[in-house]
Amino acid sequence: MKTYWVAYQIALQETLQRRSTLIMDRLGGFAVVVSLYAFWTALIGDKATFLGYTRPEMLTYVLALNILRSFVFTGRGWQLVGEISSGKISSYLIRPLSYHGYALALDMAQKTVHVIASFFEVGFLAWLVQGELFLPRDPATWLIFGAAVLLSSLIFFFLEFAISTFAFWTSESGGPLFCFELFLQFAAGAFFPLDVLPLGLRRVLEATPFPYMVYFPVRIFLEKVSTAEAVRMLGMEALWLAVVFTAAMTIWARGVRSYAAEGG
Amino acid sequence: MKALLTKYWRIWLRTASMAMQAQLTYRLGSFGFLLGKMIRLFFFFAFMTAVFQHVETVAGYSLVETALFFMTFNLVDMTAQILFRAVYGARRTVNEGDFDFYLVQPCSPLFRMTCSTVDFLDIVTIIPVIVMTGMVFARLPPLAWQNYAAYALLMANGVALIYAIHVLVAALAVRTQELESAIWIYRDVMFMGKFPVDVYAPAVRWALTIGVPIAVMTTFPAKALLGRLSAAWIVYAFALTAVAIPASWLFWKSSVARYTSSSS
Repeated sequence: MKTYWVAYQIALQETLQRRSTLIMDRLGGFAVVVSLYAFWTALIGDKATFLGYTRPEMLTYVLALNILRSFVFTGRGWQLVGEISSGKISSYLIRPLSYHGYALALDMAQKTVHVIASFFEVGFLAWLVQGELFLPRDPATWLIFGAAVLLSSLIFFFLEFAISTFAFWTSESGGPLFCFELFLQFAAGAFFPLDVLPLGLRRVLEATPFPYMVYFPVRIFLEKVSTAEAVRMLGMEALWLAVVFTAAMTIWARGVRSYAAEGG
Repeated sequence: MKALLTKYWRIWLRTASMAMQAQLTYRLGSFGFLLGKMIRLFFFFAFMTAVFQHVETVAGYSLVETALFFMTFNLVDMTAQILFRAVYGARRTVNEGDFDFYLVQPCSPLFRMTCSTVDFLDIVTIIPVIVMTGMVFARLPPLAWQNYAAYALLMANGVALIYAIHVLVAALAVRTQELESAIWIYRDVMFMGKFPVDVYAPAVRWALTIGVPIAVMTTFPAKALLGRLSAAWIVYAFALTAVAIPASWLFWKSSVARYTSSSS
């Protein structure tokens, strides 16, 4: 465990060392949040609600998006693809550590910095628009939301990992990974709440793990579902995590077996 | 002059051909990237259409008009991506020392740095965009030819402005060997151009018109087509480009003058 803790600390220092890159990353993400907020404000107009969201709920949804994007959608997929293609992965495979644990430690360091930055941005935007925010009244909601976000992050991590692992068989796995990440953003509700979609399409998406990464956690936070329903969602998330984790580990094990270190 | 243009046309054709061969070599990867781009386009369009099932107008614009803004954004953005894709690798070109070769070749290093890679995936993606734009045009009320002329000229002006930004990014790469995120910030900020600039608060609207002129690149052409852009703003758009391009060239020259070749 100490190994991963050291890896986490080093990665944290590295992320903080590249301050200009970090600031630029955050600026870009902030621009996306501002435009989504502006669009939703234009949609809600003078109406009391839009798609069942009041103005404070809508603002909270957009701000929560910024935090969830920072915590959930930062993975190690592209690095894994690069390391397998270049052969650098060999040096990790011979070390006495789990590559998944190591990657997770690095990912957590990145998340730590980005989530802290996102809280500042959220505070700034909330102050700028002087809008009322929705905060859960039930303390249990905070707990369930926290657990849901943690599970979402792990689902994303292992799902992205599973797709990136195809780099063991082809040097072209970047394309499918790019495709997956774009589809995920829409299917997870990271641009728009899925309520906007026709019911049939929403039902199809709800049967996949994607809405569990953004849409459902935000609905839990906004207390749009009862506590019992929120707990059920949490159970489903845990189930999806188990499925995705098993798939990622199985693909990884097979990939390592077929790995010929041709890049290195 | 004709000889010079012929020379650069031949260079562009050769580099474009090489880029196409490279993309055809990686079929699975290219297919994934292509599919991802299509997903982004169609999902956004579908979401926008779905939103208009619940409202009649957004910031005073109907579905057809909002779609016009979205498609114009895509046309301008994709044209720029097709033509100036090389800038995305500018930092790597400098860091790996390839820029030294650009400097000794009998060809403008700026041309090599900005225009020597063509993204054929974007050429494929722009075809449905053109078809969808045609469908949007068909649903617009009859407009004067002057509106269409202003639309075409302002779109070309938008691409020229984007060129100036790409030159700035390339110059930054030469000057600092860092700022790899600069082009990605531009991409994220461009996201704000997906919606008509009228959805934003007045301060943001001014920032997008005067500061980072995303509105001039993406919103102005569509507004001119709809007859909602004053002559003064049209003059401003062309004047801005007339200043921005020489300014970006000056910055490029000053950056190249400081280049030490130390990275290679």
